[in-house]
Amino acid sequence: MLEIKNLQASINNKTILKGLNLTIKPGELHAIMGPNGSGKSTLANVLSGKSGYEISGDVNYEGKSLKKVSVEERAQRGIFLAFQYPLEIPGVNTNNFLKTSLNSIRKSKGKKELDTLTFLKLVKEKASELGINEKILSRQLNVGFSGGEKKKNEILQMKILDPNLSILDETDSGLDIDALKTIASGVNSSRDSKKSFLVITHYQRLLEYIKPDFVHVLSNGKIIKTGCGELAEELEKTGYQKLN
Amino acid sequence: MMQNLEINFKQIDKIKKITKEEKNFRIKNLESFKASGFPNKRQEDWKFTDFKSIVDSNFKELDAQRVSSNINKIDLLKNFEHNYVLLVNGNLHSSNFDYEEKSKIRINNYDKSIDYEISKNPLICLNHALAENGYSLEIDKNYKFKKVLVIYNLFTKDIKNKILNNKNKIKINENSELHVIEYTINESKSKFINNVYENIILEKNSKFKNLFMQNNKSDGFFHKFIKNKLSLNADISNLIFSSGLKFNKIDIECDLVEENSKCNILSALFLKKNEHQEIKTLVNHLAPNCKSNQKIKKVLSSGSKGVYQGKIYVKDIAQKTDAYQLSKALLLDDNAEFNSKPELEIYADDVKCSHGSSSGNIDQDSLYYLMTRGLSRKDSSKLLIKGFLNEVIEFIKNPSIKKFIETNLEYQINEY
Ligand SMILES: Nc1ncnc2c1ncn2[C@@H]1O[C@H](COP(=O)(O)OP(=O)(O)OP(=O)(O)O)[C@@H](O)[C@H]1O
Ligand SMILES: [Mg+2]
Repeated sequence: MLEIKNLQASINNKTILKGLNLTIKPGELHAIMGPNGSGKSTLANVLSGKSGYEISGDVNYEGKSLKKVSVEERAQRGIFLAFQYPLEIPGVNTNNFLKTSLNSIRKSKGKKELDTLTFLKLVKEKASELGINEKILSRQLNVGFSGGEKKKNEILQMKILDPNLSILDETDSGLDIDALKTIASGVNSSRDSKKSFLVITHYQRLLEYIKPDFVHVLSNGKIIKTGCGELAEELEKTGYQKLN
Repeated sequence: MMQNLEINFKQIDKIKKITKEEKNFRIKNLESFKASGFPNKRQEDWKFTDFKSIVDSNFKELDAQRVSSNINKIDLLKNFEHNYVLLVNGNLHSSNFDYEEKSKIRINNYDKSIDYEISKNPLICLNHALAENGYSLEIDKNYKFKKVLVIYNLFTKDIKNKILNNKNKIKINENSELHVIEYTINESKSKFINNVYENIILEKNSKFKNLFMQNNKSDGFFHKFIKNKLSLNADISNLIFSSGLKFNKIDIECDLVEENSKCNILSALFLKKNEHQEIKTLVNHLAPNCKSNQKIKKVLSSGSKGVYQGKIYVKDIAQKTDAYQLSKALLLDDNAEFNSKPELEIYADDVKCSHGSSSGNIDQDSLYYLMTRGLSRKDSSKLLIKGFLNEVIEFIKNPSIKKFIETNLEYQINEY
């Protein structure tokens, strides 16, 4: 699914990723933990195709290099990023945006665009699964949404767009315990043998609900340790200091 | 250089049934226009626009003779039920008030009153000197229109190099209500100037909504001055959506003469290459407890120019004034130009006044966010542009009119 080899990324003359290696196979869920500022969001951004970074190394997705692939094409090919800080977009109706987004992706795959009715049915179903109050979907995109509502909206987008590789950047931060559970079950119900996940988190708690196949520790732009679920528990007790 | 603007005093002599007073009024205004010529940047009201050189470079000659144009019929809008007035090159052609009680409504050829002061704006002087047609609409008291009134403002093919001076008047008497959509239809493929003076009088407790839109692009140069006068509790809203014109300046002066009157001036515009759009406002708070709200939003693509000159004046007795003014421009390109001059002149001490102006480019992070959802850069930009303008469109409460405006704006944006 995803193969990252010796990835280096810098921005504004600051090198953030310093030779990162990571392989995610279809059906796997990988968790990345690591101290603040270690480069987790940067990795997520680079994978999504965000411009502004100077990049070297290889990133292959479904066997092909992503080097010259634009942001929207990555999304169309099934890479999804749930933002750590979802943006507020004034004046843009949430439902309208979701529909435009889904139809852009369907169109790129040569599928028929969904009409409004079918689309609204789909949203209704997914929203109730995630415990999202439908009313917020007729509001402006993320404007005035609570922190938790924004995060839930990201997962709603993931459920609607049905990507192959989902990158969740601290989606659990700021969620109450019930919301955490619904989001976790939302992720779990999407898991199958073909779909892969990269879950960035600070808390072992999330990983109690979403069982990772691997846990990586990212520190200072590199993965310094890889393990299974127990590594997260260990980190919870000891912190990152001892690893260095 | 343009030399052949054919105006002379003889032209005024040709006007039929003219009183001595009217003739003097016209001649005085013509002299005033001749003394200054078309306005340039030295005039305060034209600070950002050299209209003289715009005229010089677009017209070799200009003909101010009255045009009487005939048409067979026009296609009425089917989007919503409405009354209508049809203007052809500014002349009142016909009207239809089938949805209303006709006895409450009077529509006539333009109003001949001459009790206007000499203006500092040369185009207003020119209008006072030469305007011979337009319409005058009066609504009796205690009458609320049931349907919107569309004023079709049709410009025909045969007005090349014409300068059309029109004068309109709307008077809404006590407790009455009117909603107008001025819908400009351009058939003219060549350049012309339309110079309009509009006088709007709102009596006690009356309400007026005035929405401007046009159906297509045109090579017309439009200048319109609107004088609004509001009495006790009167409420006016001007909503400006007309872009796609070579040159368009709307100059709104609003006198809040009595207490509790309200004035809204809102605009959402999308401007393209070689288009110039200008909004100038002067809101005069002359009595206590009045409210004014101005919100101007312009999207400027490459080679377009937008201007906003907005002034709020608060007289010493106008305590508890609530005046707000905001202009925002979204520049899609370095070759777009936006000039803004917000001004406050306040002589009362217990007032709430605020103003602001900003211009910027499309937010790159927002663009990126939308693109991570599979939207192309272009589609993401369009979504953000619509989002930017939406705040103003939300002000339209009637769903079918809102849809009509939205579709029209969307059509312009999609061409981008
Ligand atoms: N555009 C930029 N210019 C300069 N420095 C940047 C830029 N973007 C990120 N950085 C820096 O790179 C480092 C890594 O940032 P990043 O957001 O990837 O960290 P993170 O691991 O996601 O942290 P957190 O856990 O706090 O979310 C930080 O020190 C940050 O300040
Ligand atoms: Mg981060």
